[in-house]
Amino acid sequence: MASRTATKDIITLRGSAAIVSEFFGNLPFCSSPFLSFLYLGLIYVWVGKVILMGKKMFSILYNRGVYPEESFGKVKKYGLPMLLTQDEGVKSFIANLTAQLSEWLETGKLQRVVLVIMSKATNEVLERWNFSIETDGEVVENGVSREKSDKEIMREIQAIMRQIASSITYLPCIDEPCVFDVLAYTDTDVAVPFTWIESDPKLIANPQMVKLHSFDTKIHKVDTLVSYKNDEWDED
Amino acid sequence: MILRTPPPRKRRADDSRAPESPGSDRRLVIYEDPVPESSHGPSEQMLCTYQCRQMVKAEFLESLNSAEKQVRDYQSRLEASNENFCKAEADRKKFRDQFFYAEQELAAVKGREKALQEQLLKEVNDSKGRFKKQIQSYSELEGKLQNEMNLRKNAESSAALAEEKASALEGKLSQFSESIEREKKRLQYELAQLKRESKLSVSRISADLERMECRANNAEKESELLKEQLEELKSQLNECLHQKSEAEKKLSSCTSQEVTTSMESDILVKHLQEELRNYGFEVREARKLKSSHENIELLKEKLLEEKGRRERAESELLKLPEIQLSMKKLEDELLSWKLMVKDIPGVSCSDDVPMKFAALQKEVIEGMMKLGEANARLKQMEVSLDAAEHAKQNAETEAASAKESSEVSKSEVKRIELMLGLVTEERDQLRNAINELKKQKNVEAGDETKNGTLLQEFELSLAKKENCIKELENNLCEQKEVNNRRFNEIKLLNEKLNNEARRIKSLEREGDRLRSEISLLESKLGHGDFSATNTKVLRMVNTLAVDNEAKQTIEALQTELQKAKEKLEAIEELKTQSADSGKLVDSYVAGKIVQFKEQIATLEKREERYKTVFADRISVFRRACCELFGYKIVMDDHQRPNGIPVTRFTLQSIYAQSDDEKLEFEYESGNTNILANAYTSQPEISQQVEIFIQKLNSIPAFTANLTVESFNKRTLC
Repeated sequence: MASRTATKDIITLRGSAAIVSEFFGNLPFCSSPFLSFLYLGLIYVWVGKVILMGKKMFSILYNRGVYPEESFGKVKKYGLPMLLTQDEGVKSFIANLTAQLSEWLETGKLQRVVLVIMSKATNEVLERWNFSIETDGEVVENGVSREKSDKEIMREIQAIMRQIASSITYLPCIDEPCVFDVLAYTDTDVAVPFTWIESDPKLIANPQMVKLHSFDTKIHKVDTLVSYKNDEWDED
Repeated sequence: MILRTPPPRKRRADDSRAPESPGSDRRLVIYEDPVPESSHGPSEQMLCTYQCRQMVKAEFLESLNSAEKQVRDYQSRLEASNENFCKAEADRKKFRDQFFYAEQELAAVKGREKALQEQLLKEVNDSKGRFKKQIQSYSELEGKLQNEMNLRKNAESSAALAEEKASALEGKLSQFSESIEREKKRLQYELAQLKRESKLSVSRISADLERMECRANNAEKESELLKEQLEELKSQLNECLHQKSEAEKKLSSCTSQEVTTSMESDILVKHLQEELRNYGFEVREARKLKSSHENIELLKEKLLEEKGRRERAESELLKLPEIQLSMKKLEDELLSWKLMVKDIPGVSCSDDVPMKFAALQKEVIEGMMKLGEANARLKQMEVSLDAAEHAKQNAETEAASAKESSEVSKSEVKRIELMLGLVTEERDQLRNAINELKKQKNVEAGDETKNGTLLQEFELSLAKKENCIKELENNLCEQKEVNNRRFNEIKLLNEKLNNEARRIKSLEREGDRLRSEISLLESKLGHGDFSATNTKVLRMVNTLAVDNEAKQTIEALQTELQKAKEKLEAIEELKTQSADSGKLVDSYVAGKIVQFKEQIATLEKREERYKTVFADRISVFRRACCELFGYKIVMDDHQRPNGIPVTRFTLQSIYAQSDDEKLEFEYESGNTNILANAYTSQPEISQQVEIFIQKLNSIPAFTANLTVESFNKRTLC
């Protein structure tokens, strides 16, 4: 993952950008509830099979029916078992996305990546997974490298993945079909590629916020925060 | 001279006196021989006088020795006393020098005290002067503040007046609008009535028209019949003419042959001529009939028109009293409007009313701007007032500390003066002692014991004085050092205290500010807010949904292509059965397929181009709108729960001071409504929303006013 030099623990800008962009690329596929509608359905199904065994959760997947269950395959990433989609469309979308994010990370222009989950019917934003990125300017300007062991970085990423997986316990249930979108907060002087357009930030009014762990490659530091719409039952 | 035979009495008296006189006076008295008293007993007297003389001599020698001894003692004592005196003199000189030194030091201390006092006085005066200046500035600031308050009050009162006027005018406008609406309704009602009546009349007219049409048809038919008859007649006439011409030809050819038959032919000709005349007459009558028929038709049309006009006139005549009533009402309203317009100052006609409204709005806006400026100035004045109060407090504390230090120094001065008094007393005592010493010096030779005790006392007193003086000096030095140290320490401590207090306050403020900033930033971060000057939000155009749609279209096209291929295959199968027709169909289908493929390719390319061009153009348009109108506009499509699509616009001013200052509008089928949020619920903004949007129904005026206000705030800050 990181660019290997003679010394194992040296991290370069390109290597750090590759780690971070791979992390973002794997996030939508990790077994966590902040994925696309089908993926939400899948994880609910997975959790339903293991814990809830609820027909309602299971029916979400069948009701959506765009990505069938068999389109997911199990792989091991960051030392954890993860479900990756085999759907070529989603794969190509994520691949294009991560390629662009990697490019922006290498130039130090990327400030935040936000994964937004919206209701398909009303386009209302239900969840917002905010990944804030702090880039070491000295590395971008002067091209110096830093030292940090891969194990430590992997440990930090594992902690975040576990936290994301356990976030299902407090995130409100989503009973309707959803879609996801990815927003990139960049510097204003960044040239907008033709496959990207400017957008509104798709905010949630009066959200609940939960701050998760962060991971640091000594060049890029990624802070995770999830904000979600207050559940009506919780308000009652 | 010593008496040879001194009288016994005199000897006793002398003996009694003799021990006294040397001990007391310590002086040698030389006797002189007295005049011999008698010449009686010269031998006895001679013996006696020799023994006496020897005795006297011995005594004299003894007394001389003793006297010499005494003298020597006295001399030694004198020398000792002289030495002591010298020592005492030296000590005295030393003490005097020390005393002078102490005096000099006292004088120096006094001078320093004076200088300190003067300095303190100067500082006190300076602080007083500064205090006075600050008080003056404070009073000036208060005066300015009062003026500003008065101006603000005036501006508020004028704004209130203008608002009242505007509200009154708005009320009047609403009344006008209500009356206009009532009038509109009435006119609409009248229009509806007129329409109904016109429909009735139209139906009547249409019935009449139908009747007329029937008559016209009948007349047309008659005219056609007449025309046919006319044509028949014409044809007959032509035949007759033709016959006539033939007959004339025949006649001309036959005139030479038979004269006898001329009569018959004449008769025939006459008959034919009569028939011709009759035919011509009939043709003329038919033409007349036709012309009359046309005239009839024209007259009928005219009649119809006239009837219609008459009916219209009748209906309008019927409506005339109503119209007159409405005219009267309109005239009354116009009069009332004109009276109202006259009441409005600066307005002479109805065209001036919108201008007056615009002027009043401008006045209100200017008043609001002035109010904003006055508020800003007031805030500045408050800030400067706070600063002046702080400075005043600082000056007061400095003055209090200066006073304390001056009191301390005064107490020190008093103490030193007391010490000085003591020292002068000591000096006087020393002077007295010195004078006594001098006096004692003069009496010293006669009284040695007294000198000794005096010397001892003098030495004791001198020692005491020395000790006192030393103690005093030590005390003075210590006190000085202590005073200086304390003074310096106090100064340093005060400065340190002030600095530390200031630092602590600033640090506390900094800490509070940072904490609040951190919490704000965290909440903003969590909420997703960002600074438009540093950040922009991007998303992919070809989302999965778009990709899915494109996929679906591609799949649809592919299915169509497959169907076309299947058709082609079917046609090819048919082709084997019938070659000719198959060839044609094959070529036709292939051509169609090629056409469809080309169309698909061009459509796809066009779609891609449109997307890219649209993306470019929309970004350019957005940037241009932002720079021209001062608002960054973000458009987003939403769907309400009832399924109605709605477009939401979020506006953020480029002069906005925070990212929370956003306006949200909802656009639906030509109607734009402002949505309430935290920014618009602020009192200033809600007031403007009420005035410009709800009352005046003008969103551009609202946004323009907001832009100007934000610009003013930015430039003032």
